[in-house]
Amino acid sequence: MNERLEALLQGKGKVPEFRRDQVDPAALLVNSFNGVPRLDPARYRLRVDGLVRQPLQLNLADLAALPQHEITIRHVCVEGWAAIVCWSGVRLADVLALAGFSSLGGYVAIESADQFFTTWDIASALHPQTLLATGMNGAPLPVANGAPLRLASPIKLGYKLSKWVTGLEVISSLDPLRRGTWEDNGYEWFAGL
Amino acid sequence: MSPSRHRHPLWTRAFHGFNLVVFLVMAASGLQIYNAHPVFGGRGGATVPELFTLGGWLAGGRDWHFGFMGLCALNLGLWIALLIQRRRDRLAQSSDLATLNASSNLARRRLAAHRLIYTLMLVLLAFALMTGLAMYKPAQFWWLSGLFSFGELFGATSWHTLRVAHLATIPAIAFLTLAHATLSWRVGGWRLWRSMLA
Repeated sequence: MNERLEALLQGKGKVPEFRRDQVDPAALLVNSFNGVPRLDPARYRLRVDGLVRQPLQLNLADLAALPQHEITIRHVCVEGWAAIVCWSGVRLADVLALAGFSSLGGYVAIESADQFFTTWDIASALHPQTLLATGMNGAPLPVANGAPLRLASPIKLGYKLSKWVTGLEVISSLDPLRRGTWEDNGYEWFAGL
Repeated sequence: MSPSRHRHPLWTRAFHGFNLVVFLVMAASGLQIYNAHPVFGGRGGATVPELFTLGGWLAGGRDWHFGFMGLCALNLGLWIALLIQRRRDRLAQSSDLATLNASSNLARRRLAAHRLIYTLMLVLLAFALMTGLAMYKPAQFWWLSGLFSFGELFGATSWHTLRVAHLATIPAIAFLTLAHATLSWRVGGWRLWRSMLA
């Protein structure tokens, strides 16, 4: 019930963005759950599978070939701090559409190289400002911030915005015992902003 | 105990008791959230002793805080609605300010100050809700959060301004509560207190 209510309140529209000069790189702190994995960009692949017509293994060139977007948004941490960041990359919606995701898939499970795991409702995943980012503040994404690929969105708390993303799986229902690294420890699952 | 002893209506007494509980829970769980990343000092900043916090850790503190937030809003909304409908004359009016300025009648001055303070408490509770909501859902209520960008004039981000403003409602409400209790004692003494407590 709560999930549906939150989703209803969230709306589908874009969240107003900030000006580029409001970006404050020093404000963005790095929280890491299990160290900093170093992925070889040449061998990197993003796996997209689950309830899709066409499972994919995308390399960075494939991602660069998709329409690129830039968002200047407030990144809000559950701890209480926030930072205005400019992220650039592809829309998660475009990647899911490329794989032909099924309308039966209500959720997306996101896996990271450091074993971090989370799940999103599909509506939030398809939000036009939910990006798989490869750039930050006009430069390539630093490794500490999730290179080569991380999630960025103005509509979710930071612990939903996985770094070092390696796999997307479209699923029809949530496993109540495996909803996410932090969520299984007591943090709110929807975590909408 | 005389049978004709005055008692406040049940809803007034219930509101007073409930509000005290809500304030304590909101402050304690709020301080729990504060400790996750102190507003002053950030990482490594001084934290509040565990004794004054509620929830055990950040997730628990948030659950308490947002759970009671709904009760707090409902309570405040209902109270204001009832006040406006039934006891509008009890709220502070501009004449109270004039009384404070001009009157030499001590009792009238105390009553005027008393009304001003408890009306201010309602305003402050609404402010606490507003600043809290602006941080709880800054994307949905971007216009509300955006109001606090005035802090940028002084080099503070709107987020920091919001955090400070929201935290400041704890000492502000605590101070007003103390003033409210003191003034009600001065206005009505033990009789007034008893009529509110039981």
